[in-house]
Amino acid sequence: MRETRGQKVFKVFNYTFLSLLGLATFYPFWYVLIASFNEGRDFQKGGVWLIPRVFTLENYSRALQDDAIFRSLGISVSATLLSMLISLIFTALAAYALYVKTLPGRTFFTFFWYFTTLFGGGMIPYYMVLRGLGLTKSFWLYIFPSIYSFYNFVLLRTNFETVPYELRESAQLDGAGEVTILARIYIPLSKPILATLTLFNAVGKWNDWFTGAYYQSRAALYPAATVLQRLLMEATASNRVQTEQEMVMRDMHTMRTYTPMSMQMAFVMILTMPVVVVYPFLQKYFVKGVMVGSVKG
Amino acid sequence: MKGRGQNKGKEQKVQERKKLLIRIKRHKMLYLFILPCIVWLLIFCYAPMGGVVLAFKNYRYDRGIFGSEWAGLKHFRAFWISPEFWSVFRNTVVISGLKTVFCFPAPIILALLLNEVRAPRFKRWVQTLSYLPNFVSWAVVVQLMTAIFTPYGGVFNEIRKSMGLDPIFLMGEPGAFYPLVILSDIWKGVGWGSIVYLAAISSVDQELYEAATIDGANRWQCTWHVTLPGISATIGLLFIMSFGGILNAGYDQILLLQQPPNYQISKILDTYIIHTGINYGKFEYASAIGLFKSVFSMILVVLTNHLVKKYAEIGLW
Repeated sequence: MRETRGQKVFKVFNYTFLSLLGLATFYPFWYVLIASFNEGRDFQKGGVWLIPRVFTLENYSRALQDDAIFRSLGISVSATLLSMLISLIFTALAAYALYVKTLPGRTFFTFFWYFTTLFGGGMIPYYMVLRGLGLTKSFWLYIFPSIYSFYNFVLLRTNFETVPYELRESAQLDGAGEVTILARIYIPLSKPILATLTLFNAVGKWNDWFTGAYYQSRAALYPAATVLQRLLMEATASNRVQTEQEMVMRDMHTMRTYTPMSMQMAFVMILTMPVVVVYPFLQKYFVKGVMVGSVKG
Repeated sequence: MKGRGQNKGKEQKVQERKKLLIRIKRHKMLYLFILPCIVWLLIFCYAPMGGVVLAFKNYRYDRGIFGSEWAGLKHFRAFWISPEFWSVFRNTVVISGLKTVFCFPAPIILALLLNEVRAPRFKRWVQTLSYLPNFVSWAVVVQLMTAIFTPYGGVFNEIRKSMGLDPIFLMGEPGAFYPLVILSDIWKGVGWGSIVYLAAISSVDQELYEAATIDGANRWQCTWHVTLPGISATIGLLFIMSFGGILNAGYDQILLLQQPPNYQISKILDTYIIHTGINYGKFEYASAIGLFKSVFSMILVVLTNHLVKKYAEIGLW
């Protein structure tokens, strides 16, 4: 089929547009990457667009030497790993129990859970509960309240349902207990979906700045994303356009080569890198996750 | 005769109960599996639901939630008559309305454009790049924006300077707030959102395209008369479902973009609840607003779920 002129014009437009879109997505990350490798004071002069002009690793070393940042990274890593593991185990247990059709009360328990997706007490009573339990002063704030999610449960149970039910029955006849059946049959058969859930959970946990910022009352327990948000809020306050005089004054005071901003850029990169690393693994499961997600709404 | 019948009924009931007990006993391990889940639900979901009585109380620390005096609808009335009510409600609806108008169609357009690409490598690159922002935190996104818009060496102001304009900090300008909210939301979500439409497009019957081409339809007509009707069910479904979240304007994004100069147009229900409740400690007042929002949202969700079910049965188009 030969292309008409209009089709050619559209093709050129389409490829250009999509290329620009790709660029618009990529460039902000690139820009922050070069900013993080450029001397902070030099960056403020402007003109660093494509590659670092005065290359340095100082921003990274300063960021990692900062006590608050270093500690927060440790908290984020441990919260992410621990919550991954705990969520996985408990979700699998619950999904398996509510998958067994002969369980008396199965429908009731499922509805009991489903109802919580329709109606909630709202943020404030939730906060009061967290405070009452002492979680607002504790590391466990990042673990316990997020163990279960109805969405993950449905995803996993739906996956269990694809396993022939006879497998469970014959294993039972062979004398296997529920734990053995779950661990030996259902978990190995659900590896892809479990990997997906776990990775998505981990990314969500790593990115969660809100819990730390509003529910955590001890600054020493802030996760990295919250520390980043705090720095951001401080930075925006100082980002108004200052007069020439103010800038000269500020520059005279600080003789260092890095700036709070350039240090933050390094921090942003440290936070983004792990996500970029797991990204290819996530991508494998995108379509499945999104499809189920949209069905569930 | 009659007595025996009753006895039989009773026996049956007793036996059924026995059977049920046996069944429950046989599954005791499984109950152990869901026990933590039930405890968790009671603590983190149902206890806060009970906590909504706070909205009807004059809370005192020393007496606790249930010991405090009843206040009736005082806090609701305080919210409804306060000047904040309309601006908060308006901002919430305006922001989520704008998002429906601009951010909802964006992934559909992207999916349609991607579908026209005949170079698989190029297509994959664009897709890979456009999905990435979905996986970074809003804190990172706003940090990227700050780097671009900062008056100190930021690329945006460099361009302005080269055009002979004075540098400004765009993120502090109230007029730029809504456009920035919309644009950053599209930037973060457009690629991810397009996946579901691409999946819908790929399930459109290929024979329909062949038939349309034989009838003399060009590519544009194919898109308009075959692809779009083919994915209209998906579009409609997602559109209806988005109404359930009309009071959710995306608080983590808004909180991060909120600044004193734009506060008047940026405060939404969720951020107002957080500020009055958590930051200023007006727990009862904030709970009342939260309850108002929860009830409103629940009605919308139930309504839209009902609509979706009906819609899925009939299939409007």
